[in-house]
Amino acid sequence: MATTVTAKGGTVRPWVLLSYRLPREPSTPRIAVWRKLERLGVARIGDGLVGLPDGNRTREQLEWVAEEITDAAGTATIWMATPGNRAQHQVISESMSAARAAEYRQIIAEAKAAAGTADDLARTQRRLRTALRSVQRRDYFPPPEREQAKIAVAGITTSSTTTAATT
Amino acid sequence: MKWATRAGVHIDRAASAWLIRSRIDPDAVFTFIGDLDDLPDDATPFDIRGAALGHHNGDCTFEAILRHYDLADPILWQIAEIIHQADLDDDRYDAPEAAGLDVTLRGLSMICDDHHVLDLTAPLFDGLYTYKRQHLLLGREPA
Repeated sequence: MATTVTAKGGTVRPWVLLSYRLPREPSTPRIAVWRKLERLGVARIGDGLVGLPDGNRTREQLEWVAEEITDAAGTATIWMATPGNRAQHQVISESMSAARAAEYRQIIAEAKAAAGTADDLARTQRRLRTALRSVQRRDYFPPPEREQAKIAVAGITTSSTTTAATT
Repeated sequence: MKWATRAGVHIDRAASAWLIRSRIDPDAVFTFIGDLDDLPDDATPFDIRGAALGHHNGDCTFEAILRHYDLADPILWQIAEIIHQADLDDDRYDAPEAAGLDVTLRGLSMICDDHHVLDLTAPLFDGLYTYKRQHLLLGREPA
């Protein structure tokens, strides 16, 4: 993938941006698009401007959202861009990383809460694994919580055997 | 007939090409382009933004082709659920096969060109069709 060298000699990775406008009414397509963008884990750069680190898959994902927007009588354009400097890249990537970290912490909390209960642990684990996978798919700048969440979810059933053995 | 799709094929385009060649146009010739602007005059585009055979109303291209050509085969619609989940992963259907098929195609696209991916995946989809057909006839997992 192409990178751009900045004046200070650092490299900034390219991004794919979607700039869009959707009529306020009807609200159904607006909400559908909003949900889809949340699911993709986009950076919200401005009003009607979102971005993802560029790649074949991310570009395609945003192109299909663009298609959905134009199908719903909105306007949408796809842009390839590089942040003007590394600090800007940093701010955006850190905010994306923080958003994922919060989602991982939620999963960790649920995994820990389940471990001490008489719930169907295998079932809770299945549910949290699915949740974990969907967060991982939109995780472009992995925070430390990624690994912690993986361990917490894997530990749900192993800690249950320990509990069973001690009771 | 000539058909054109975006270069760098993944699950939806590979499955759509298989569907076109096996159910719509046995003599289909596929070309891979970067953009709708590069579309040859005599080619039908699919899985490209702006094409009728693309993602519309939450459907993936494979589903759009089934609808457009009135292909009512229930087994193809079962395969469509897998392709939809592998491509869009939006929990519309329960298709546990999707994740495995998706990574298989992703891996193939890393080591093969687009024509080769289509050649390799055609028997895969033929097999999937037969499996799903057996499954439907037996009413359980085929042995």
